Amino acid sequence: MTAHRRHKSSHLITALALGSLMALSACSSGASAVQAGADSVSDPKPGGNLRVGIVGGSAKDSLDAHAPVTHPDQARVIQLYDTLASYDNEHKIQMALADSITPSADATTWTVHLRDGLKFSDGRPLTAEDVIFTFRRITDPASPQSGASALSTLNRDALKATDSQTVVFSFNAPNSTFPDTAAQYSLGIVPADYDPKKPIGAGPFMMETFTAGQQSVFVKNPHYWQAGQPLVDKVTIIDFPDDTARVNALLGGQVDAIDQLPLGQVNVVKANPAMKVLESATGSWLPFTMRVDQEPFNDPKVRQAFRLIVDRQQMVDQVLGGHGTVGNDMYSPLDPCYPSDTPQRTQDIEKAKQLLAEAGKSSLTVDLVTSPVAAGLVEAAQVFAQQAKAAGVTVNVKKVDPGEFYGDQYLQWTFAQDFWFTRDYLSQASNSGFAKSPYNETHWADQEWTELVTRAQATTDSETRCGLIKKAQQIEFERGGNIIWGFPNSVDAYSAAVQGLTPDKSGIPLTSFGFRNAWLNK
Amino acid sequence: MRRLLFRRTLFGLFTLWVVSLVVFLATQALPGDAAQAILGREATPERLAALREQLNLGGSLPEQYFGWLGQLLSFNLGTSLAGGTPVVSAVGPMLLNSSILMLCAAVIAIPLAIGIGTWTALRKDSAVDHVTGIITLVLASLPEFVVGVLLVLLLATGVFHLFPAVFVLVPGEQVWSNPAQLVLPVLTLVLAVSPYIIRIMRATMLEVLESQYVQQARLKGLPERTVVLRHALPNAIGPVAQVIALQLAWLIGGVVIVEFLFRFPGVGFQLIDAVTNRDLPVVQALVIVIAIFYVAVNLLADVVTLAANPKVRTAS
Repeated sequence: MTAHRRHKSSHLITALALGSLMALSACSSGASAVQAGADSVSDPKPGGNLRVGIVGGSAKDSLDAHAPVTHPDQARVIQLYDTLASYDNEHKIQMALADSITPSADATTWTVHLRDGLKFSDGRPLTAEDVIFTFRRITDPASPQSGASALSTLNRDALKATDSQTVVFSFNAPNSTFPDTAAQYSLGIVPADYDPKKPIGAGPFMMETFTAGQQSVFVKNPHYWQAGQPLVDKVTIIDFPDDTARVNALLGGQVDAIDQLPLGQVNVVKANPAMKVLESATGSWLPFTMRVDQEPFNDPKVRQAFRLIVDRQQMVDQVLGGHGTVGNDMYSPLDPCYPSDTPQRTQDIEKAKQLLAEAGKSSLTVDLVTSPVAAGLVEAAQVFAQQAKAAGVTVNVKKVDPGEFYGDQYLQWTFAQDFWFTRDYLSQASNSGFAKSPYNETHWADQEWTELVTRAQATTDSETRCGLIKKAQQIEFERGGNIIWGFPNSVDAYSAAVQGLTPDKSGIPLTSFGFRNAWLNK
Repeated sequence: MRRLLFRRTLFGLFTLWVVSLVVFLATQALPGDAAQAILGREATPERLAALREQLNLGGSLPEQYFGWLGQLLSFNLGTSLAGGTPVVSAVGPMLLNSSILMLCAAVIAIPLAIGIGTWTALRKDSAVDHVTGIITLVLASLPEFVVGVLLVLLLATGVFHLFPAVFVLVPGEQVWSNPAQLVLPVLTLVLAVSPYIIRIMRATMLEVLESQYVQQARLKGLPERTVVLRHALPNAIGPVAQVIALQLAWLIGGVVIVEFLFRFPGVGFQLIDAVTNRDLPVVQALVIVIAIFYVAVNLLADVVTLAANPKVRTAS
């Protein structure tokens, strides 16, 4: 008992000390503002080893450019391999290894032109043949990789190099969003003799050591195409399956940055003057998925009622601790064509009850399958179950382990959840909207919607395309199978010595794992 | 006594076989297979089919089980499904790391606990005795992860910054290369294991100190030191050995949680990962090793108890 009391009093002392420190820094912040401004323009210091703790990681970790599964896999792939195009912090597409990606008038062929003088990390030139090999490897029918589904209409046999820097991509159907696809991190360009065991790429870093489930060390790629990057000599990526250990490693100074700061720890880190929180609004979403071809959700009235049951602000407050924005049952909020003028749907229990009565489904009982595969999913399910009680709906939350969630019933659950990072509308639609899409959890196969989106995919004029997308979004708003209650912010943390990490809308942590821009002010 | 040991060993082997069967059936009963677990969210039908073929998943249940058993008998543990490396090279280093962690904990905890237990027994009802009694009771009632979290707060991140809060193993180095990193995990295990040993040691010692032969020894005029060390302690060790064995066996289970908390690269850490990945060969290998440890520790405890008991020792 005595030991306990001592603990408590020492915590009290620390809290008091921290409190006075915060007050001190608040008082002095006005005076030091000029100082801080001067500090931020100081020249980046090259060198050093940036150590990053990343959630997850396992014996199944891999370095394969085209098959990243875990979060550390993603982080490694982004260091090792660059893509033809990439997203900037505002989620706008920028050219990367390619200096132009141009469509034909009907968007069925795309011509990719590579930058001059590109080299792989081993010094060999990066040519059109390597690009062709990369896209054939990804779409190999015997062993399709992560990016294969987004390239389902690519005519892989017709890939053609017109010179050493130019590749022509032909598609079996119009594909107006090819640059978007080419910017996905799992489509990194690799040399024609690629072997994942010797991971050669054109990314900012090269592999030094790699131990699955433990850690990996990367060193600067001397042949990197972006002048002056990367700044640090080394990046060490350390896997952390446990949240507590990851935060403790940051607080104890064993790592310089961590991804996905648990929401309960945000204030702890903010109170520490040696730490900083990196928070970015994103277009990531955590939908509840209702199968539109199964009882009771085959009735649009039931889907509508469920969407009216949700108190979205309460979801954002309780599930995300306020670190997010409210959703309106439509995805891709950062797409330039997102219909932000659609009235915000809010909780309306009376209307929900009435709709359920009309559908003959008063006092409904449903199972909601959830799993801790992304932060906040299980909590969201529990909050929803509470909110549903008011409308006389009994929601049984069935929590399963990730192995079962992704097991035989994956994509077949009647009422479940999923998570997605930021994507533009057409790219998201091809992932989850069509009857043939690989991740169509809601079994959405609306004919009117399909026609609209197919036309949008074939439209190169951006204004006409936006009109079509807005109509498609309206259909999802009216009768879609997703309940999109909010868009979580990405919240990471880093030591104040780390510079160059900026907010980023992709939803991928730590500025899309953009360690090539980071430097250490030590 | 030799026959008893032989019987115990046979029974131990039988236990191992039952364990292997139960674990096999249990992993089969888990929903989802290795291919689904490895691909996770990316498990589209096309990619699943391709990976299942690569991993060679298939065959009936008895076929799979006897295939594995046959390999085991020829000392071949197979290949990890998740990592693609031989199970021996995946499990071996982790086993070594965990053994070192447990050995450190045991080497510190056992003598310390026996010492404190004896000492408090000799000072029965003194202030020291009462305080130790309360502390051990509190520690025994706290789960080890709570103890671990409190230690981290106290010694690593919150109040003092004395030791690293997590374990980061630099590839190519051994776990003992950076001993400061071992302090907190070992301390957590020591605090988790010691209270039981201290309490049983104290109780047994009290009983022994009141026995006739100790009184006889005192009456003979032997110095108290000799009475305690030569006459009392050896007689108290028997029951304590059983508790120590139980605690050591518990260690290998407790180590799972402690390893996870401190991110220590050991069997516990690996077992959780292997179950999540449905990596059957690795799960089987780890569970068999853990079971062997249980059986061996219990066997050892029996031997110590028997050896410490003069009646049994002289009878054989």
